[in-house]
Amino acid sequence: MPDPSHAGRRYAAPGQRIGPERVAAYASAVSGGEQPFSPGSVPPAFAAVYCVQPALAEIFADPDLGLELAGLIHVEQSFEWPAPVHPGDVVDAAAEIISVETRRGLTFVTVGLEATNQAGATVCRGRTLLLTRGAVR
Amino acid sequence: MTAAPAAQVGDAMTALARTVSQDQVIAYAEASGDHNPIHLDPEFARGVGLPGTIVHGFLEMAILTEAVARWAGGFERVAELGCRFSKPLLPGETLTCAGRVVAVDPVSGALTLQLEATSSRGERVLTNGRAVVRPDH
Repeated sequence: MPDPSHAGRRYAAPGQRIGPERVAAYASAVSGGEQPFSPGSVPPAFAAVYCVQPALAEIFADPDLGLELAGLIHVEQSFEWPAPVHPGDVVDAAAEIISVETRRGLTFVTVGLEATNQAGATVCRGRTLLLTRGAVR
Repeated sequence: MTAAPAAQVGDAMTALARTVSQDQVIAYAEASGDHNPIHLDPEFARGVGLPGTIVHGFLEMAILTEAVARWAGGFERVAELGCRFSKPLLPGETLTCAGRVVAVDPVSGALTLQLEATSSRGERVLTNGRAVVRPDH
């Protein structure tokens, strides 16, 4: 189980390729059969795919942290996009455990996120708040 | 050409309503790589206390981001966006994204919007929504 001592742990998920086909499939799924908005561009919320998911996968894979997908609730998400992402970019995603707080048997984990493109520019910063009910008691 | 440059505090964002089908959820899972069974397997979802499969929060957030981008005149205008995932959206329901301008930066012209997304059942699905829209220059 995550605990406050885990704050400051850092994770890296480098080499996330912004594949044009995948972006197109994503845009089509979001539009649900309508003409996608601004086809050919990378929707900002695609940060879920190139940043949040790969970074969280690293976090879930950390046996010392012990955060499990089962029973996990994604409470809040915020993003900043200081620079655009383009199809063909390769982005390095990184995460840090900002804080772990336990209240009434619920554990809140705040994760900070950052994604940097091949030129070194920050293309996304994010913050993810997760809630886990923890181990069966 | 866009509504935002002349926007004032209190202006409403053009609402965006989108019905999300289970097929769309499956397409989103494929495109995003998020195959959590709560979105795909009704039996599994019921087993963890949900009424059935639920729509990915990040798909809802993508629709909310698109609503802001459509109103502002492009994805590149969306500088920041965040929200709380308060209630699940069920496949077949319509998500309606609404917002209004709550601040205009007197120097840069950047707009701050308050956002919310509700389901056709009347549930407040995405709350505490906030976006920052870059000025159009």
